[in-house]
Formats: sequence, C-alpha cells, structure tokens
Amino acid sequence: MNSLMGKILKVNLSNGSISRNDTPTEWVELYTGQKGLGSRILMEDVNPKTDPFSPENKVVLTTSVMGGTIVSCSSKLAITTKSPLSGTITDGSVGGHTGAELKYTGYDAVDITGRAGGLSYLYITDEKVEIRDAAFLKGLGTFDVDARLKEEVGDEELKVLAIGPAGENLVPYSCISSEKYRQLGRGGIAAVMGSKNLKAIAIRGKLDVSVNDLQGLLKYSKEVTVRDEVIATDNEIYDLGTSCLVDYSQESGLLPTNNFQEGTFEEAEKINGQSFKDVRKNKKGCFSCGIACGNYVVDGAASVEGPEYESIVLGGSSLGVGNREKVIEFNSVCDDLGLDTISAGGTIAYMMEATQKGIHDFGIRFGDAEAAIEMLTKIAYKDGIGAEAAMGSKALSEKYGGEEFAIQVKGLELPGYDPRGSWSMGIAYVSAPRGGCHMSAYPIAEEAWGELDPFTFEGKGKLVADMQNSQFCKFSMGVCDFWPIDDETLGRLFELTYGGEWPADRVYKTGERVFNLQRMFNIMAGFDRTEDKLPGRFHKELLKAGPPKDIAYTKEAFDKAMDEYYAYRGWDERGRPTVEKLEELGIEPKFIEAYKTVL
Amino acid sequence: MPLKFDLSKCTGCKLCQLACSASHYQVFNPEKARLKMIHEYNDDGIRIASKSCILCKKCEKVCPVGAITNNGRWMIVDEDKCIGCGTCVDNCPTRIIFLNNDKSTICDLCGGDPQCIEWCPKGVISLRERKGVKA
Ligand code: SF4
Ligand code: SF4
Ligand code: SF4
Repeated sequence: MNSLMGKILKVNLSNGSISRNDTPTEWVELYTGQKGLGSRILMEDVNPKTDPFSPENKVVLTTSVMGGTIVSCSSKLAITTKSPLSGTITDGSVGGHTGAELKYTGYDAVDITGRAGGLSYLYITDEKVEIRDAAFLKGLGTFDVDARLKEEVGDEELKVLAIGPAGENLVPYSCISSEKYRQLGRGGIAAVMGSKNLKAIAIRGKLDVSVNDLQGLLKYSKEVTVRDEVIATDNEIYDLGTSCLVDYSQESGLLPTNNFQEGTFEEAEKINGQSFKDVRKNKKGCFSCGIACGNYVVDGAASVEGPEYESIVLGGSSLGVGNREKVIEFNSVCDDLGLDTISAGGTIAYMMEATQKGIHDFGIRFGDAEAAIEMLTKIAYKDGIGAEAAMGSKALSEKYGGEEFAIQVKGLELPGYDPRGSWSMGIAYVSAPRGGCHMSAYPIAEEAWGELDPFTFEGKGKLVADMQNSQFCKFSMGVCDFWPIDDETLGRLFELTYGGEWPADRVYKTGERVFNLQRMFNIMAGFDRTEDKLPGRFHKELLKAGPPKDIAYTKEAFDKAMDEYYAYRGWDERGRPTVEKLEELGIEPKFIEAYKTVL
Repeated sequence: MPLKFDLSKCTGCKLCQLACSASHYQVFNPEKARLKMIHEYNDDGIRIASKSCILCKKCEKVCPVGAITNNGRWMIVDEDKCIGCGTCVDNCPTRIIFLNNDKSTICDLCGGDPQCIEWCPKGVISLRERKGVKA
C-alpha cells in the first residue's frame, strides 16, 4: 500500500476522448510527482519546438505522493506546459485545497491536449469525468466562475481552477485562479488553457489516500513539524505572511522601486507587513498546513487574500505606489481578470519608465495607481493600448527601445529582489528554467538576509545550483517552500508515504535530474547561454542608497560566475547539459537520443 | 462531552479531519471525518464554521432499532444492530452523522483521546467540560 493513486487521466479536447492509464512507477521513481512528473509527462510527446498555442501543447496537472496526507504543507497542485511568454517549459504550483481535492478523485495527474470546439470546462470527480459546455461562463472573471460553478454543481466545496478574460484573450502572462485568491501559472499557463477553449477545471474527490506506514508517518510527521517549527503560532511567516519581507528588502536596499531604478522606497512603511496586518480579517491556511501564511485583508472597498510580497512590490513600490488600499485593489483586480501580478506590474513599470524617459509616451506615470489599475482591464481585454501592453515588457522594449530597463529574463518579468543587493539572485534568475523567477532558488535568505557576503560571486554558482537541486526535488515531492525542510527529512517522509529507500543523496539527485530535464527541454526549444542574461540596467547603473550603494555588479564578474555555475553543473560552456551528465543522472535514453540531434 | 471550537483561530487546514479519518479508518480522507470545518470565501467575504456532535442525543431517540446509545461522554453506535436506514442522518441537527459502509458513524471522542485536538496546530478545538465528567 502506498500513497500513489495509480492513475493518470488523459483528456483530448479535440475529439473528446477520455482515458485512464496506469501511472508508470518508473516515472515516479525518477521524477516523483508535481514538477518532476509534470515535466516528464510533457516531454513524453510535446515537441519542445511546438507552438505553445497549438493543440499539441499540453496542460498537465500533477499532484504529489505526499498530497492528501497529513504531512504538513504537502498538498500543492502543479501545472506544466510550454510557455507562450518565454517559450520555455514552465510550471506553476498553487496551494489551497485544490491539489488534495484532485488527489481524492483518484488521479496522480491529468494530461490535457487538443482544442475544444467551443468554450468548455472539465469536470472531474472520483466517479466521472466530463467535458462540459462553458458558454455560460464566457468572459466572466475568475471570482464569478468559481461562484457559478459551485452553484451549477451544487457543492460549496467544489474546487475550481479558472481562467479569466485575460486567459480567454490569450494574454501571454495570464494566470489561473483557484479558491478566488490563489493563483498559479507564471508564463501564461492560463493563455494555453484559453487556446484550448478550456475555461475551467472543476474538481471534487472523495476517495481514500493510504500510505506505506501510517503509524510511522503520524509519529514522524508530528515530530519533524514541531522540530522545524512548522507548527507554531508565533513565527513571522505565520504572523505576517510574505509581506514581512518588505522591511527586509528595504533595509537591504534591494526593494524594487520605480521599475528597479532604486532599491529603497520612501513609502515602504505604508505597504509593509505590519500595515497589512492592521487590516487583516482572518488567517487562511492551505490544506494540511500547520503554518497558515495566508491573510485575508479588507481595506476600504478592496479585499484580497494576501497580498503576497511579490504583488506588493510589483503592484506597489515598483510602480511608485505607496498606498495600501490601491495595492490590495491591484492584486484583487489581477486575480479576478486572471493576470500574473508580477508580469503585469513589471510591464506597466516598463511603460511608466519609457514615458518618464520620453522614449515612448504610454500616458502612464510612476505613482499613478488609478491608471495602473485601469491598465489591467485594458490588458486583459487587449483594449487599445492594452493590446500592446499585453505583449509583455520584453516584446514592448524590442518595439520601442529601452531594453536595458525591461526587467525580465527570457521574457518573464522579475520578482521583487534587485540582484544588485544580493548577487546570487542574478544567477538564480538567469538559470531558472521558466525565466526570471525566484522559486528555483532563494539564495537571498543566506546572502542579504543571512551570513554570506551579498556582494561577491565567490562560491555562489555552487550555492545556487545546490539550492536548485534540493528545491526541485522538494517541489516534485510536493512540499511548500515555507517549510525549510532538509533532503534527509524529505526522503524519510517519502519513504513513509510511498515506500522504498530515499536517502538524502537520492533526494538531491532527483532534483538535479528534474532540473536537467527542464533544461534539456529548453535547449531543444532553441535556448542556450545567450538567453541566460540579465537586463542591462543591473550591470550599467549603480544603486544610490542602502548597503549596495555604488557597488558595481559588472557583466564581466557575472559572466565569470555563470562559467562557474555551468561547470559545477556539468554543462558545457554554452550552458548545455553534457550527454555524460544526463547519462549519469539516469535520464531515459530516448530523450538523450533526441537531445543529441540538436547539439 | 462535546467538542468546542474557537473559530477565530481556525485556518481551515483540515488537519483535524485528516487525523479523524486516520484514527478510525487508517486512511486520509476528510470526507470520512466525524467533524467538519468550513473555511470558504463567498460573496460576503469568508464563511468559517464547524460541524460536530453536540451530544443532543436526538439520534438515539429517532433510531428505529435502538442501535444508538451514549455513555454520557459520547454517542455509541452498535454496528450489529444498525440497519443503515439513515434516520439518524436525517434528524441530526448538525448534520454530522454519515453512513460508512451502511453503518451510522458518529464522533466517539476517539475513545477519550480526541485526535482532532491532538493534531490541530492552532489550538482551536477543546472539550467542553461538564461538571464531574471526564473524557
Ligand atoms: S450525532 Fe447528531 S443527533 Fe446524535 S447526538 Fe450528536 S449532534 Fe445529536
Ligand atoms: S474526537 Fe475523534 S472521533 Fe471525534 S471528531 Fe475528533 S478525531 Fe473525530
Ligand atoms: S486543524 Fe484546527 S485550524 Fe485546522 S481546520 Fe481543524 S480546527 Fe481549523
């Protein structure tokens, strides 16, 4: 007995076929679940050169081996696809209760291809799977879709993954909402759903999840969550959620302000953790989570769960907006329209700077919160100037100029940490498979907020690669980022739920394998080192306040750090995994053969 | 004695429901828990509620075959007697009884060591002590 449900659901929206196949145990042994399993399923038959909006691209939902069990923070849901924004593989994950719900339907994964004839939604329960007409949901925001589907099915506990108008209109940075305020899908996963005419996925499951060793798991899980203070009501992440990071970033001089022109924000105190705590109505936790980092806040007419740190920065300080209510509104409007707050904010900030510098007048200026919020609706409907803004900052800067201040990597707008204030974040940004993202590694915790010198690259290539490998296994096994769990504990929990032997080195290797699999996909899609670069601003301009003041972050030093990073990874000087490395990791020969043809 | 809840502390994590199903059925399934926490957004904001046995003993009164009794601390279902008619389910004011394999299923305080209390990370659940009665 183990916690795998044993089935993968396969849906082809073009011809309406629905089938159930056994989950191959070899895939679980190599890639475990979520991020890893999703990448493996995508690789199976999506050509990396596929047009993201073609019916051949897939939307792959994956749960994890620990999902649905009592292990804390372990019930996330991942979705993997080829991104229309970056052209890379991309996967996003969402907490809340949707991952567990999917697991209780009896599926480890849902593999969706094709394109429906008309707008549809997918209804998945433990008893049936149906592709249903969604004409009545056309054009609705994600909050309404959630409410209407609960009504339609008659179950307040139905879990809904919905796209908003932004996804329907194929905005390449549209994202998916679930349970109203929980989002996933950086890099436009919602637009891929939109291209498939798939408005929503509604899920309700009632099956049992069994584990390999129940008594062992109950005992161990309790022990390690207490040890790691995952269950505690006095830690900062419980008290304030990620908004606590605003003060940290401000103090470290790396809080993106006015599109990363500065690293400190005069009005930071108005949008910091305490400020949001002042308007908190409730705490909210994900399924099985002892931490509960979520905050439901209400300020004036605006309400949201969050706002998370990244949204506070990209919808606040980086737009020159120090108004709490407006930040909440920006976040909530994005959630309802189905827009990624980071990319939407990053794109609008680029437009503000282009206007400020007289490069192109987009009619929008730093500090103008109202205009920024109005722009969101224009983007989602591709209305007037919104049609341009919907392209994202990279494409806009290629058209109008100012590429050095289009703050993105591979087209994906950067989150809320200026790499000039914590040098290894730059390495993490350019090497993350989905483009500019902070989830592959979070070295800032050791650097700007830890013991390591933030202003040197010494040893940082190794630091970032090691973190990425562990993170990629953690996110494949399904544990949330907020549990700073070590590889050994992770492996032991996996043994108790799934079985087998999972010592720390196998956990680390698994993560490294998943990371390399995603890199292979990108190389086969046409990427290499040339695209692993930061916007010119970071190398050419100095920050003028705080700890990073006047410290140069040179291109030469950065390139040298990347040389070290690739070498440590066993990749060639063009940043491509070597065949020997892939063989050593046990990547399946059929993928290595296909990969060799592009080298 | 019934469970009591400080809902202001609840985060909706459902660890209590997972603990309940694990302790009675050796599986994880919130649908098979003998208590239920609701923590859902709706148009008015957020709805937080709990459902659990309040020890009103209505089920005992309506059961047509006398399968339900109590020991003053929790309700007791005699599975050999229970015919799975669902009369208790329909009459429970908190709607917390369910049929599992056609047998009425009610909170038994885990035989005196409530696992939901043990597992709730936020200290939401406790026992409503009554004079002179211990769990
Ligand atoms: S199970 Fe329902 S009817 Fe029976 S005692 Fe408890 S609350 Fe009353
Ligand atoms: S006391 Fe035991 S049986 Fe009753 S609800 Fe809690 S865990 Fe379930
Ligand atoms: S375990 Fe506690 S916090 Fe979690 S849902 Fe149950 S009562 Fe609420």
